[in-house]
Amino acid sequence: MNRRKLALPIAALGALALLISGCSGGSGSGSEAGDPNAEFEFWSFTGIGQKDSVDRYLEKNPDAKVKLSEVGSTTETATALTAALAGGRVPDLVMIQNDDLPKFVENPGNFVDLRTLGGDDIGDGYLDWAIDGATAEDGSIIGIPTDVGGLAFAYRADLFEKAGLPTDPAEVAKMWSTWDDFIAMGEKYTEATGEPFVDNVETSVFFSTVNQVSQKYYTPEGELIYDTNPEVEEAFDVAVRAYEAGLSADIPAWSSGWAPGKANGAFAVTTAPSWILSGLKNDAPDTEGKWRIASIPGVGGNWGGSVIAIPARAENKEAAWQYIETMLSPEGQTEHFATTGTFPAAEAALESDEVKSYTDPFYGDSPIGQIMSESVLNFQSFYNGPDTSAIGAALLNALVDMQAGNIAPEDAWQQGLDSAKAAIGG
Amino acid sequence: MTVTAPATTTATATIISVRKTRRRDRPPSRIRQSFGERIAPYVYIAPFFVIFAVFGLFPLVFTFYVALFDWNPIGEQTFVGLANFERLFQDPRFWNAFVNTFGIFLLSTIPQLALALGLAHLLNQATLKWANFFRMALLVPYITSVAATALVFAQIFDRNFGLINWVLNIFGIPDVNFLASQVGSWVVISSMVMWRWFGYNTLLYLAGLQAVPREMYEAASVDGASGWQQFIHLSIPSLRPIIIFTVIMSTIGGLQIFTEPLLVAPESGLTCGGGRQCQTLALFLYEQGFGQFEFGYGSAIGVALFVIVVVVSLVNFYLTTRTRKAR
Repeated sequence: MNRRKLALPIAALGALALLISGCSGGSGSGSEAGDPNAEFEFWSFTGIGQKDSVDRYLEKNPDAKVKLSEVGSTTETATALTAALAGGRVPDLVMIQNDDLPKFVENPGNFVDLRTLGGDDIGDGYLDWAIDGATAEDGSIIGIPTDVGGLAFAYRADLFEKAGLPTDPAEVAKMWSTWDDFIAMGEKYTEATGEPFVDNVETSVFFSTVNQVSQKYYTPEGELIYDTNPEVEEAFDVAVRAYEAGLSADIPAWSSGWAPGKANGAFAVTTAPSWILSGLKNDAPDTEGKWRIASIPGVGGNWGGSVIAIPARAENKEAAWQYIETMLSPEGQTEHFATTGTFPAAEAALESDEVKSYTDPFYGDSPIGQIMSESVLNFQSFYNGPDTSAIGAALLNALVDMQAGNIAPEDAWQQGLDSAKAAIGG
Repeated sequence: MTVTAPATTTATATIISVRKTRRRDRPPSRIRQSFGERIAPYVYIAPFFVIFAVFGLFPLVFTFYVALFDWNPIGEQTFVGLANFERLFQDPRFWNAFVNTFGIFLLSTIPQLALALGLAHLLNQATLKWANFFRMALLVPYITSVAATALVFAQIFDRNFGLINWVLNIFGIPDVNFLASQVGSWVVISSMVMWRWFGYNTLLYLAGLQAVPREMYEAASVDGASGWQQFIHLSIPSLRPIIIFTVIMSTIGGLQIFTEPLLVAPESGLTCGGGRQCQTLALFLYEQGFGQFEFGYGSAIGVALFVIVVVVSLVNFYLTTRTRKAR
C-alpha cells in the first residue's frame, strides 16, 4: 500500500523535473558581450516607422545586425516589456511611449542608466521636458527621447469658408488665440452650418488644455494634487464649456465613426499631433488639399512622443548603445523626420531648416514644421507620476460619459475626481 | 445516469473482489512484478495531473497568494493582508462590473436558449426539407472568429453610420447611441454572444431530440396534439438533462465574458465606454492586472470572480438535484 501511495507523487515529480530542466535550458545566445556590432533585439511599436530607421542604421553600419520586432500598439509594447522585466527574456533596446513612461521611471533599476554609457551631459541636446520625463528620482536617465508628439489642430478650410470663417492658418490661429475665443469661433461655425465644430471634447480640447499647465496631477516633489489644482479644474472646465456650447460631435478618436467623420465633414476641427497626420491622410484620402494645420489656442502643447531604453538585463548593451548614438543624434532625428514624419525631440533638429520648412500638399502647404516646432518649444515641463495616465483616463472618461448624455455637465468634474480616486486606490 | 449507475457499482465490486483474492493467493516473490502493473495506470494518467498542477492548480493557488500583496511586477512587493479585498468591496467599479456581468449574462443566455430550443424542435420535424443544410448552417456563426463578429456588430450598431440606426431613421426614429448607455451596450454584447452560440446549443438540443423515438411524435399527432403541444409536453421534458447542461455551460462562459466587451468599443480601451457601462468582471480584472499593473488588486478580483462562479455553480447544482428529485 505504501508503494502505491508513493507512485503518484513520484510520477508527478519526474515530470515536473523534466519541465523545470527544460525551462532553465536556453540561456546565452553565444554573442560576445561588449561587441557594438553584435546582433541586438529591438522592440518597437507599430506605426512609428522604426523599420526605416533600422534600414538607415544598417546602411551606415553594414557590420551591425538588428532584430527588429514590432510588438503591437504602444500599450501592448509596454505590457510586453513589463512582463519581460518581471521575469522573461528582455530585449536589448525598447521603445516606450511617454504616457507609459512614469511606471518604468519609478523603478529605474530595471534599466541601464544611460549616463554610464554616454556621460552626464547625455540629456543636454534634447527638449528639457522630454528628458525630464525619462529621468528618475535618483538622477539616472533611463531613456533617450526619440520623438515628441507636438500638437496642432487640423481643420477643414472648405467648411470654414462656407461658415464665413478665415481659412489661412495664421489668421485662424490668431482668431482662436485663447480657449474662450476658440469656443466663440465654434459657436459661429455651428450657427452658420448647423454642424458640430470639433470631433469630441475629450481628446481635442481636454488633452490640449490639461497639458498647458505649470503643474498637472503632481507637484514637482511628487505629491498628488489633481483634485485641488485649479489649473486642472480650469482645463476640464474648458472642455465642459465647449460641450455646453454645442461644439462636440461626440465622435471619440479611433471609434468606428471617426474615420468616416473626417471624410464626410461631420466636424471641422480635430486634434493633430504630428503622428496623427499620416493617419488622417489614410482615413480621408478624398479630402486632399481641404485640410489646414494651425497652432492650438493657448501656449503650445504635446501629445505622445516616446523614448528608447536599454533594459538592465540586456545581453548586448553595447550594440544597443551604438544604435542610440548613431540614430538619436540631432542629424539622425532630422533624417528620420524627413522620411517618416515623426517629430524630433533634439533641440538642434527642431531648429533645423528641414524641420522648420516642412509642408505637405495634403494640408494645403500649411507651415506644419514651423507650427509644430513652436508648439513643442513653448510647451512647459511638469512632473508626471506613476498614476498620471490613470488619472488622465478617469477625467477623460467622465467627459466621454458627459457627451453620451449619461451625466450632467455640472456633475462631470466630480464624477471624474471620484473615478480618479477609485483608480489610484482611494 | 440511472441506467449506468448499477453497472458501475457491480464493476467496482468485481474489481475489489479480484484484487483481494489475488493478494491472498500470490506468493510473496511476485509482488515486485505487480508493482509495475500497479503504478502503470498512474503513470498513464500522470501527464494530465502534472499539466493540471503546473498550469491549473499552481496559478490558482498563486493568485490567492498574490492577492495578499501590493504587487508591482517590476518593482516592490509588499504584504498588505486583506487590504485588497477591503478596497474591492468599496470600489464602485467592482460592483458596476458585477452588475454588468450578470446583466449581459441574463440578457444573452435566456433568449439564446429559448431560441435554440425552438429551432431544434423545428429542425427535428420529419417534414422539413434540406434539414441537413440548415443543421450545418447553424454552425457558421460558431466557427466565425469573435474578433470579426465584434467588428461587424460594432459597425451595425454604430450610432453615426450603423445599419440599425439607418433602419430606425427610415421609420422616423432618431439615432440611438447603443454603446453609450448601460442597457444599450448590454444589448449589443448580448446579441453578439447570442449570434455566436445559439447554433451550438441548437445542435445539442437537436442531438437530444433525435434520441426521442419518432413513434412518440407520430402517436402524439395521431392523438391530435398540435406542434406546440408536442413541443411543450414531449420535446422539453425529454431534453431536461441537456437543458441543464447548456445552462451550466452558458453560466461558466457568460460569467467570464471578456472578448466581446473588449472589442466592441476599442477606442475606450479596457473600460468598455467612458462610464464603464459594459465593463465586465473579467475585463475589470484585466484592466487592473495588465493595464495598471496592480497584480495584487487584479488577483483579488480574480479570487472574487472565482468565488462568484463557485457560488453560481452550487446554486445550479442545487437546482438540478432538486429537479431530479421532483421527477
